[in-house]
Amino acid sequence: MTTTTTPAPVRGAARTRTAPGWFRQTLRLTRTEFTLFVRYKTAWLYLVMPLVLFMPLTSVPSTPAFGDFTTRDLSFAAAVLGIGLMLGIGHPSNVFAARRESLVLKRLRVSGVPQVAIFGGVVALVVLFTLLLAALVIAVGGRVPADPVLMLVAVLLGAAAMSLVGLLITPLVRNAESAQMFSMVPMLALLLTGGVFFPLDLLPEPVRMVAQFLPVAPTAEMAQAAYTGYDVFGGVEGAEAVGTAALWTGALPAIGVMLAWIVVLALLVHRYFKWDPRQP
Amino acid sequence: MTTTANTEPAAANQDPAQTGGPSVVVRDLHQHYGDFEAVKGVSFEIRPGELFALLGTNGAGKTTTIETLEGFRRPSSGSARVFGRDPFDQPAGVRERANAVLQGSGLLDDLSVDENLGLASDLAAAPRDADEVLGLVDLTDKRKLRVRQLSGGQKRRLDLALALISDPEVLYLDEPTTGMDPEARNETWKLISELKESGVAILLTTHYLEEAERLADRLAIMHRGRVHVEGTLAGVLAGWGDRVSFLVPSDVRTADLPEVDGAEVGVQARDQALWATYTVTGGEVADRAHHAVSALFEWAREQGTTLQHLQVRGASLEDVFLRVADDTAGTLPE
Repeated sequence: MTTTTTPAPVRGAARTRTAPGWFRQTLRLTRTEFTLFVRYKTAWLYLVMPLVLFMPLTSVPSTPAFGDFTTRDLSFAAAVLGIGLMLGIGHPSNVFAARRESLVLKRLRVSGVPQVAIFGGVVALVVLFTLLLAALVIAVGGRVPADPVLMLVAVLLGAAAMSLVGLLITPLVRNAESAQMFSMVPMLALLLTGGVFFPLDLLPEPVRMVAQFLPVAPTAEMAQAAYTGYDVFGGVEGAEAVGTAALWTGALPAIGVMLAWIVVLALLVHRYFKWDPRQP
Repeated sequence: MTTTANTEPAAANQDPAQTGGPSVVVRDLHQHYGDFEAVKGVSFEIRPGELFALLGTNGAGKTTTIETLEGFRRPSSGSARVFGRDPFDQPAGVRERANAVLQGSGLLDDLSVDENLGLASDLAAAPRDADEVLGLVDLTDKRKLRVRQLSGGQKRRLDLALALISDPEVLYLDEPTTGMDPEARNETWKLISELKESGVAILLTTHYLEEAERLADRLAIMHRGRVHVEGTLAGVLAGWGDRVSFLVPSDVRTADLPEVDGAEVGVQARDQALWATYTVTGGEVADRAHHAVSALFEWAREQGTTLQHLQVRGASLEDVFLRVADDTAGTLPE
C-alpha cells in the first residue's frame, strides 16, 4: 500500500464531503427530541392535557346517531384528533422558542444541518407520541376502529399539520413563556372549530363551511368515519355504513385539504421562521 | 492499493480555495436594518491557513458581518462568498465545510457533554473523532455531566468542540474565549493556532486585544459599520508610531523640551511629576525609534542631565483600538 500525502495540505481541498442526508439527520434529531422530551417535565403536560378532552365524554348525554353508534362515540373519535392538536401546537412552539433563545437552532444551522431535518425531528416526535397516545386511548375506549388505517392516516396528518402550526407560532413570540401563552389561542380556536369539543353540525351552516376547510375538521371527520365505518363526510345525518373503498373515496377531499394545509404550513414555516433571537 | 490525497480532481464549483485562493471573500458589504445601516462597505478576504481578526466596539457591525457569512442574512448590497458561493441560507457545498462558535452558547442544557457532541458528530458530513475533540478542549473528565452543570468557561470549550467535530475548512469564532479562565484561554489559543496551521481559514472577533495580537495574521478594526484600520499586526502598529517616554527633568520647562524630527511630543502629569512622550511616526519604521532616542540622548548630554525612566515601545493594539473608538472627527490615518 502506497500512501502519498501533500506536505502542507490545503485543508479539505481535495476532499469531497457528503452529509448524512436529510432523512438520516431527521431520524437522528428525532432521537434527541425524544430524549429531551422525556427529560423536560413541562413537556409531559402536553401528554396529559389532551386526556382532559375525554373526561366530559363520560358525563354528557349520549343519544343514538346511526347504526349502533352514539353521539358519544362520534365525540370520542373526534377527541382522538385533539391529542395531536394539543401536543402539536403546544410542544414545538414552546421548545423551539426556547431553543431559538438559547441559540441552539442557530448553532444547528451553522453546523450545516438543513432546515428540513431540524423541523422534521420535532414533527416526527409529535407524530410518534400522538400515535402512541391515540392507540392507548382507543385501546381503553374498547372498540377497534372499523378502518384502523384511515384512523392512522387521520391522526398522522393531523399531528403533522398541528406541529407546523406550532412552529409557525414561534416567529410571533419572544420567548418560551409567551409561546406557552400564545399557543393557547390557536389551540382553542381549532378545538372549537374542528368538531372536537362539539359536533360541527351544531354550528350555523356558513361557519360550518369555513370550518371544514380549516386543518382540523377534515381529520376529525376522517377519524369519525374510520372509527365507525360510516361515510360521515356529508354530515352525520343520513350517514351510511360503506365498504373500505367507498370510505376512502369519501375521505379523499379531506385528505386533499390536509395535504394542502401541510404544504402551505411548511412553506410558511420555511419563509417566516426566525432563527435569531435578536429582533432587528 | 494506492491512496493519493493530492491528486483528486477539484470540484466543479470554481472554489478559489481549491487553487490556493481565498476561502472567504467579502466585497463592499452593506447591511441595513430599516433605516439603520449596521455595516457600511466592508471588504476582506481570508485564505486557507489564515486567521483574520475583526475587532471593534460594541455595535460596530462585527456580528452582523459574521452572520452574513454564516448565511443568516442576505447582503443589503455588496457580496459575500464562501468557497466561491453565496452562503445565504446555507446551501449544500458550503454548510458541510464551515462551522462556527456563536457569540452566545447554543448548547442543549438537558443533554450531557457526550450527548451534545454525539449529536453534532452524527449530523456532520465528515466528523472527527469525538474522544480526540473532547481531549483537545480538555473536557474528557466532564463528559458525563449535563451541560447545565458546567461552568461558563467549560460551556465555551464545549461550543468550540461542537464547531471542531465537523472538521471545518472555514471557522467563524465570535468571541470564543469569553468566560474562560486565563489557563483555558491560553490552551484555546494554542488550539486555534494549530487549526490555523492545519489549513483552516478562521474569522475571529474578540474584545481581548491580546487574543488578536497572539493569533491574527491580519486584522481589521471596525467602528460604526466601517473598517477604519486594516492590515497585518506589524503593519497596523507601524502606522501608529513608536513611543519614547521619560521623566521630564525638574529643571527643564516643558516648553524647552527639544523638537525631534518625525516625532510629536506630549506631556502628561503622573505621580506628581511630568512625563514626556514622543510619538515617532516619521522616517524608516525600523530605524525611527533609534534616531529619535539618539537625538534625545544628545539633548540630555547638552543639558547635563539623564533621561530617567526612559522607555521605548511600539504602539500597542490597544493604542490603535482606543484611537479608533474615540475618533469622531475622522482624523485617523489611512
